Amino acid sequence: MTLVRVPPPLEQDVDLSKTYDAVIVGSGAAGGMAAHVLTSRGLQVLMLEAGKKLPIEQELRSMQWPYDHPRRGDAPPGSHHLSFNEYTIRKPPYAKGAAFKHVYSYVGGWSGSDYVKNILVDEKDHPYTGTNYAWVRARCLGGKTNIWGRLALRLSDYDFKAKSHDGYGEDWPISYADLAPYYDKVDLYLGISGVKENLPHLPDSLFQRPNKLTFAEVKLRESLKKTGQVLTPYRAGVTTDGLKHNRYRSKCYGRGACDRRPGGCDIHAVFDSPTGLIYPAMDTGHLTVRPNSIAHEVLVDKNTGRARGVAFLDSATRKSYEAQAKVVVVAASTLESARLLLLSRSPQHPNGLGNASGHVGHNFCEHVMGPGVTGLVKELVGKPHTLDDGRPGGFYIPRFRNLKDRQPGFIRGYGYEGNSGHSMFPAHVMDTPGFGAQFKKTVRDYAGAFISMGAFGEVLPRYESYVDLDPETKDGWGIPVLRFHYQFSDNERKMAEDMVATGREMLEAAGIEVVGQDKEILTEGWSIHELGTARMGTDPKTSVLNQFQQSHDVRNLFVVDGSSHVSASCQNPTWTIMALAWRSCDYLADEFRKGTL
Amino acid sequence: MTDATDRPESLSRREMIEATAAALAAPLLSVGPAAAPPATALPGGFLTAAELALLDALTDLIIPTDDHSPGARAALVAGYIDGRLAESLEPEWQARWRSGLEAVDGLSRELNGKPFMQATPDARLAVLTRMAAGEADPKTLAERFFTELKRWTVRGYYTSKIGIHVDQVYKGNVYQRGEYAGYDAK
Repeated sequence: MTLVRVPPPLEQDVDLSKTYDAVIVGSGAAGGMAAHVLTSRGLQVLMLEAGKKLPIEQELRSMQWPYDHPRRGDAPPGSHHLSFNEYTIRKPPYAKGAAFKHVYSYVGGWSGSDYVKNILVDEKDHPYTGTNYAWVRARCLGGKTNIWGRLALRLSDYDFKAKSHDGYGEDWPISYADLAPYYDKVDLYLGISGVKENLPHLPDSLFQRPNKLTFAEVKLRESLKKTGQVLTPYRAGVTTDGLKHNRYRSKCYGRGACDRRPGGCDIHAVFDSPTGLIYPAMDTGHLTVRPNSIAHEVLVDKNTGRARGVAFLDSATRKSYEAQAKVVVVAASTLESARLLLLSRSPQHPNGLGNASGHVGHNFCEHVMGPGVTGLVKELVGKPHTLDDGRPGGFYIPRFRNLKDRQPGFIRGYGYEGNSGHSMFPAHVMDTPGFGAQFKKTVRDYAGAFISMGAFGEVLPRYESYVDLDPETKDGWGIPVLRFHYQFSDNERKMAEDMVATGREMLEAAGIEVVGQDKEILTEGWSIHELGTARMGTDPKTSVLNQFQQSHDVRNLFVVDGSSHVSASCQNPTWTIMALAWRSCDYLADEFRKGTL
Repeated sequence: MTDATDRPESLSRREMIEATAAALAAPLLSVGPAAAPPATALPGGFLTAAELALLDALTDLIIPTDDHSPGARAALVAGYIDGRLAESLEPEWQARWRSGLEAVDGLSRELNGKPFMQATPDARLAVLTRMAAGEADPKTLAERFFTELKRWTVRGYYTSKIGIHVDQVYKGNVYQRGEYAGYDAK
């Protein structure tokens, strides 16, 4: 076996005098997928990315030992990461008046901040205002896919038809049967690891080799089985068997780096948009990528009202440019896409582009997180240390609430993500009291004996939950910023109480002693699963996009990221974002050939 | 990246195994008082020689050498903390360490009638025991300093070669061949 580093393809020169078939704004999961599908259908595509193209392997340095780094993985002095307290006590913009040279979101506070300092945005240049929100942004080629959490789940008709089930909100304009073939395509093209469980509410993928479970996880899985609940190995968006069709990505070698760091994989076994989607699209010869390009307006033809291109600033030179295209595909992330549409005002579209409904920025939703439990598996205390963290994730307990039952306190559901076993740094060390030889022995004996899990719950979309443009505050490039009007409601709070109580019951039923619990709900935004600011729907009065993520108002405008989601479900959204984008871009290419756009 | 052919820039499996073996062997060779700071170490120099000696003694009381593994002194934890303090741009944080170390000496004088470093091993232990007594709810300056001292000591120790490889006998951060460790979900 030999690992061969294949360099990125050579870049094509950007030609702004030409009219591209499509311009894509954003290079994350959605933009990358759009580039893959459209170039494979023969369209000439220009991709604009606001951030840099990083030498990502040098940033991530996945195998570097802590002691080979001067600050054991921490960023150099002058950098500050926001804490839960700061997000809670202060109001955005959080970096305003900060004495630090650089301020980053809380993700920088995880161990390994030095490995993400060029991936995350500096909050000083990227302010926002309004209600408290922990907004995590990654401006670089690939966006947040460079450090994502890898949990790759499908949605089901419990999600797509949730209104039919419980009466709240809106159904999606598609059903699972519409999307299932595209989930399959995503599985096969990008690779996913997991175990089939035959659950109607969490459909199986076409899985490659799954993670193993630890002793503690098997114990909990067996116990849950008795009540019909399921603990399944982490469904990781990771190729464990390798991908013959992609020369930029290695299979997973169980190095465990993705769980020790804020994420990222320098051999790209974990899906990331550049190596998974963009580089192969560049190899078709149909994709041109322009990094450092901050889109600030989708341009509109004065006569037809249709999109004609994108205005952007070069982040380095601050010069203005226009890219011309027959179709505009917005994929800048849920919140940045809403911002771009709202910024794109014109006489034909006075409230922002594609916003005749007034719903752009509204129906904003995500996942609520924070509550969780930790248990001690007594049989493991004092046992020899084993290699447990060489896998791309721990376990997942799918939703079980409000499927057949009706909870009195809340609608919809949540799932738990969890992990257990030995890790490089003994996480329980600061919870181990005292000092000296006994302390040291206790840390050693108890290492690997804990199991933890935390819940991710569905946040209901509400028209009153929204973002708009701040009339005064501008970012480092003079572009108006987003203002948040968004807070959790009683449904999320009641659900959070259930997350803790049920987590305790699950561990106790398995004979695992509960030694810790977190009741606190983390600040809005913490899950980094923001969704729903330009939702799909059949009624142009109450939705922004049709079922193909095509603007109701402007037929050559598509918004293919998480902003299109009608509800959040409780499953992590990345795989759904990509399946939807694939489906929509297939439709886009068909319509493009027919000449209807 | 792919698992295919030989190329000059590639890292062979043999090289990977050798690199891993070297990393595992290194701490065993470098254990002991003669251990030199790693090439990547920060220069340090914020603490005076006396302060550094005091910090070194404190860290080694928190994580001492036992029959399983060397302690914080051998892992050069005090030097690591001094390196972080020296380059810090946060004067308040630096001041907390200086006043914390002073408080240790103050408490030692109160309990033993002499500074920490001049006290007997038992008397030193008594000082740290008093500092640690308020760990769940620290109130005095010395008690609050204990939390900071312990946090940085464990962080420095369990990210060191000795902490990771010798004490924790950590087996990961290697290229695994074939299956991961663990049980099938069956």
